[in-house]
Amino acid sequence: MRTRTNIATGLAQVYLALVLLFLYVPIFTMAAMAFNSSPLYELPFQFDLVWFKELAGNDRLIRAGTNSVILAVANTVIATALGTAAALAFSRYSFRGRRVMQLLLLPPITIPWLVIGTAMLVFFYWTFPSLGLSPRGLHSILLGHVALSLPYVIIVVGARLTDFPKSVEEAAATLGATPWQTFWRVSAPIIAPGVVAAALFAFATSFDQFVISYFLAPPGVTTLPVEIYTSIRKGFTPEINAISTIIIAVSMSIMLITARFYKFGGER
Amino acid sequence: MSEVRVVDCDKRYGRVAALDGVTLTFVNGEFFGLLGPSGSGKTTLLRAIAGFIELDRGRVLLDGDDIGHVPVHRRDIGMVFQNYALFPHMTVFDNVAFGLSVRKMAADEIKRRVDEILGLVRLSGLQERKPRQLSGGQQQRVALARALVTRPKVLLLDEPLGALDKHLREEMQVELRRIQREVGITTIFVTHDQEEAMTLCDRIAIMNQGGIVQIGPPLEVYEHPINRFAAGFLGVANFLEGRVASVSGGEARVDLTLGGQAVAAADGFKPGDAAVLAVRPEKIGIEAGQGGAGVNRLDGTVTGAVFSGSSTTYRVQVGDQTLAVFQQNAAPRRFEVNDPVTLHWSSEHNVPVAP
Amino acid sequence: MSPRQRQIGAIFGLTGPAYAWLAVTIFLPLSAMLYCSVLDTSPLVPRPSHFTWANYAAFFQKPFYLPLTWWSVLMGFWTTFFCFLVGYPAAYALAKRIKGRWREALFLLIVLPFWSNALVRVFSWTMVLRQGGLIDRLVHTIFPGAPTFDLLFTYPAVVIGLVHSYLPYMILTCYVSLQAIDDSLMEAARSLGAESWTVFRRVVFPLSLPGIVSGGILIFVPVIGSFMEPRILGGTKGATLGMNIEEQFTVTANWPLGAALSFTLLAIVLVIFAILYPVLKRRGVWS
Repeated sequence: MRTRTNIATGLAQVYLALVLLFLYVPIFTMAAMAFNSSPLYELPFQFDLVWFKELAGNDRLIRAGTNSVILAVANTVIATALGTAAALAFSRYSFRGRRVMQLLLLPPITIPWLVIGTAMLVFFYWTFPSLGLSPRGLHSILLGHVALSLPYVIIVVGARLTDFPKSVEEAAATLGATPWQTFWRVSAPIIAPGVVAAALFAFATSFDQFVISYFLAPPGVTTLPVEIYTSIRKGFTPEINAISTIIIAVSMSIMLITARFYKFGGER
Repeated sequence: MSEVRVVDCDKRYGRVAALDGVTLTFVNGEFFGLLGPSGSGKTTLLRAIAGFIELDRGRVLLDGDDIGHVPVHRRDIGMVFQNYALFPHMTVFDNVAFGLSVRKMAADEIKRRVDEILGLVRLSGLQERKPRQLSGGQQQRVALARALVTRPKVLLLDEPLGALDKHLREEMQVELRRIQREVGITTIFVTHDQEEAMTLCDRIAIMNQGGIVQIGPPLEVYEHPINRFAAGFLGVANFLEGRVASVSGGEARVDLTLGGQAVAAADGFKPGDAAVLAVRPEKIGIEAGQGGAGVNRLDGTVTGAVFSGSSTTYRVQVGDQTLAVFQQNAAPRRFEVNDPVTLHWSSEHNVPVAP
Repeated sequence: MSPRQRQIGAIFGLTGPAYAWLAVTIFLPLSAMLYCSVLDTSPLVPRPSHFTWANYAAFFQKPFYLPLTWWSVLMGFWTTFFCFLVGYPAAYALAKRIKGRWREALFLLIVLPFWSNALVRVFSWTMVLRQGGLIDRLVHTIFPGAPTFDLLFTYPAVVIGLVHSYLPYMILTCYVSLQAIDDSLMEAARSLGAESWTVFRRVVFPLSLPGIVSGGILIFVPVIGSFMEPRILGGTKGATLGMNIEEQFTVTANWPLGAALSFTLLAIVLVIFAILYPVLKRRGVWS
């Protein structure tokens, strides 16, 4: 019986290793090519930092990258704040229409991004000029990203709130804490891990988002995914490898650092 | 130390009446139990007093003031929840100090009061622990300390001992009583466990379906239940049905359907009335042999015997009814299934109840 | 203010901003695009427009739309299927067979690619699949005489790229679902005489269905409308409805047609959901 479990565990480990291989091989290949001097990805491999230097001079890519980061940060702040508030309302109050409102969160998830992106383009085109705004732009992209992030934030924070019984907040009230005090001193610290997880999700959603950004980006202003896309369509430039490697390295580091402080994967 | 009064309280959820015209006075300093099955309204009443529920009709008065529109955090109450509701991210000290820090008390005064109350509940030395590091009984005491440290006017307890095992529960019952006596605070205690209610409370109210069935000290309610529900809910009762044969000299003689006669206090009975008499199992004596039905006397056959350490509960078949008899295990003789027995009891233990 | 009024105020205050945002970015735009889809001239052109069904009719009249749509739907199904095939066992392995620190570490590693750019992930596949790429070179080092291995710009390449991009979604949702299944349920089944496979088939798998379904939705919906991966990895071979719609908005500037096609795509998605809903409801999947 023991050997059977060990075989099973061994198989599991092997399988997971294979899956990870599948997930990471392309990424490593690309990272390797970022350090390879050949512009046509020819072997033998010659270590060179030339593409990183080229990247430093590639204003378009750098500006696109900065835009992506700024958007992602703004998106995270807004979506997390709005989504957490809504999740609180759903969890702490029961009211008619709650079910309907929760169902209304489904469209951003169940409608293809292509449809959402084009719809936004049409709508903004018709309405923004009369408000003095251009239909396309970073502001439009931000609107779209937050809309996509909101359902995820609400779901993740909502899950954390379910684990957190209302009686704890009631106890604080009986002890004399105003609703505001209860929120800051009791509720917020308890739901913090859930909010952080939701924030990370929101950041990834925005940084990763291509389709919406593609339709709402005006000429000259792009996000990183859009810029990479246009570069690929025009022809390979190995700086793409360089910036991609940087992105992956940075995101991995951030992820690892936050994982140290908060436990993911359900272990508590 | 305060008096709480609820007057004419109504609360409906859809078509169900959670509270129906409930009026009650909780006297200064008493330990009062709200007892009843699920859905009886006891928790609804408690939460209405706390302020979590808004009544459809009626008033909640604290020391004469109507606090119906006062929000929870200004009501000056202390509450212990069924799941304790300790703040998981705070230490024992911070949990207990919370109510004081919200009132912006000075740090050294807070420390003094917290240490004092932790001493009272016998948890000194555990200030720096987190709730998840404590046992159930310890968590319960932290919850109690937290509720009491602010010196509220009234203490509300919502089935606080429900999650504890039997031994711990009995231990905590003693502790709870001791602490309440020492502090002297008006306490309202909700429970569905009638034994617990009788053990702890100065007075109890039996509730059912949103209304109050009977109020009084446990002894009185137990020995003189006013109806079948009260008799059946508090403890166990045998119900003997019959018709009044005659009334004289303050006594009524009731012909029992099971045979024989029972003598009870006259109490407004007229000959020919239908009567139901409740007799508690521990009031019935059980003897070997059968001598025929008589006054407060019935023959039966043992159909079950359940041994519980200090006592034995017999189920005795009399006619088509099964009666419960409770005997302490000091009696010389023990009965087995199928033994023929005689049951007898005294007239004072025939309690007339409304049918 | 009565407590009830205060409560209503709180509810509005808390949910209002989020839903106002959704109204402006999702619901109103959809309505606007619906309106656009029944116009006969593009809003970009300064000519007055008239109501017409022609744009929707084009979907059925032009010969290439139906096969194109079929390809896109098929692509969605294949991607979701392979994500399930590869991802579910991985999630199971992680949830049930790995314990302790390793579990956290592996979970993190699987989720990490999410944090790299989707474009980057797709682009990295071009490095692997193309002539002279990783697979080509690997094959040639082992079998020197083999023909050139150029997988780029083929239909399988698109599916591989899509599976690679969306696999973590499936692993994530299935993992959360599987991990929530108490071990004691499996032990109970075993004590009742069930063998491992039966325990899996009748206890674990049904209980993990919500995870599979949500993963499926998270994958199928974006994939069916995708144009970026097909274009980069498939070139002309992997033509999708999504690509056609994108062209209407960028190249041909025929917005009404693009809008109509967009809604047709949406309708297809909803039809598929409608077909699956009774099946899933019966199994108690909807949360």
